[in-house]
Amino acid sequence: MIKLKNIHKKFGDLHVLKGIDEEITKGEVVAIIGPSGSGKSTLLRCINYLETPTEGEIYFENEVVEEKASALNAYREQVGMVFQQFNLFPHKTVMENITMAPVLLNKYSQKEAEDVGVELLNRIGLLDKKDEYPNKLSGGQKQRVAIARALAMNPKAMLFDEPTSALDPEMVGEVLDLMKSIAHKTTMVVVTHEMGFAKEVADRVLFMDDGVVVEEGIPSQLFSNPQHPRTIDFLSKVL
Amino acid sequence: MSFGFLLKYYKFFLSGTANTLMLSALTVVFGLVGGVVLSIMRTLHFKPAQKLAGAYIAFIRGTPLLVQLYIVYYGLKDIPMFAAGVVAMSINSSAYIAEIIRAGISAVDKGQLEATKSLGMTSAMAYTKVILPQAFKNILPALGNEFVILIKESAIVSVIGLHDLMYNVDTIRGITYKPFEPLLVAAAIYFVLTAVLSKGVESIERRLQVSD
Repeated sequence: MIKLKNIHKKFGDLHVLKGIDEEITKGEVVAIIGPSGSGKSTLLRCINYLETPTEGEIYFENEVVEEKASALNAYREQVGMVFQQFNLFPHKTVMENITMAPVLLNKYSQKEAEDVGVELLNRIGLLDKKDEYPNKLSGGQKQRVAIARALAMNPKAMLFDEPTSALDPEMVGEVLDLMKSIAHKTTMVVVTHEMGFAKEVADRVLFMDDGVVVEEGIPSQLFSNPQHPRTIDFLSKVL
Repeated sequence: MSFGFLLKYYKFFLSGTANTLMLSALTVVFGLVGGVVLSIMRTLHFKPAQKLAGAYIAFIRGTPLLVQLYIVYYGLKDIPMFAAGVVAMSINSSAYIAEIIRAGISAVDKGQLEATKSLGMTSAMAYTKVILPQAFKNILPALGNEFVILIKESAIVSVIGLHDLMYNVDTIRGITYKPFEPLLVAAAIYFVLTAVLSKGVESIERRLQVSD
């Protein structure tokens, strides 16, 4: 569904991604783990062109993603993203956060979008907050609304950029539970430090270090029997 | 101290205040339009427009309003006095307002723009629905402050003979041989004008703060 071909990214002299080739199939859940500065967030942001790759191509459903505004917008409608810092729109209510993009992009009428909003808010257990502004919500609630906002576009794939890293520990669970509930129904790529989540939910885990995918495999194999010395070293520190 | 002159000359104060208000109101409108145009020029992917706007803002902010006023008044021959006042003040104010707008937009978290992009929204949608409404909240206090400054600075147009509040007060001082008291009246009037404006801006700010 999403194919990355020889992705390189440089920030000035800093070579952050050094040739990534990956293919993510429909319905797959891929977790990307690795130390800070390994390039995992940059890779995720390259997938929907929030960062423009310096070199390489991205294919979505077998077609190359063109780097012009109209093509990118159409592509991004189908690939949702959830950020570490939530990035909810603070001047809009919870319901407006969810309905704004689908209505503006003529995906739904206002009425249809609100029906979808009610359904999504019901699913994440926050229907009673629909008229609140984001600043009235806890971190975990904000992230659940951010996930609902992305889901309202009915995307074919979802990208998660360390979705629980900015949360208080007691709120991590509610966000991971929601992510579990949508896993496999939606294709997911998750950059995460939650090894438990990667182990339990992911179909495949990529270990990145220094701009390359050092090792990858199914979680049971990668976590219990890592092959590469850098993977062994990393896992010994985090597990 | 006596304020007996007020009975005889109050009309000078009224007409002066009216002219000051008119001048300030027109400057607010043109300064705002100019400031918005300059801000847009600076965001265009067209280098000459960016450079021109940047140079204009730097030059206007780096020279005294008094000099700008004289340049407009004596440079544009035959320009009516009132028009010269409005033009000079608007030129000056637009540069400051452009800076206020730039600061307000850049204070919006960049994650907001990324969120709109990730949802497939166009940049026009992003700016009208997400970035500018939030930037407006950052801009408003500074903009209100700029308008207060503008009312006060407008007193400078009296030097070219425009019959604003300050000019008329000078006239009264000359006629009555009272150098001091008319100034107190002028100060009081300026203060009332700026205080009312400040209160108005504050109340708009409060209304915008529901989501904070």
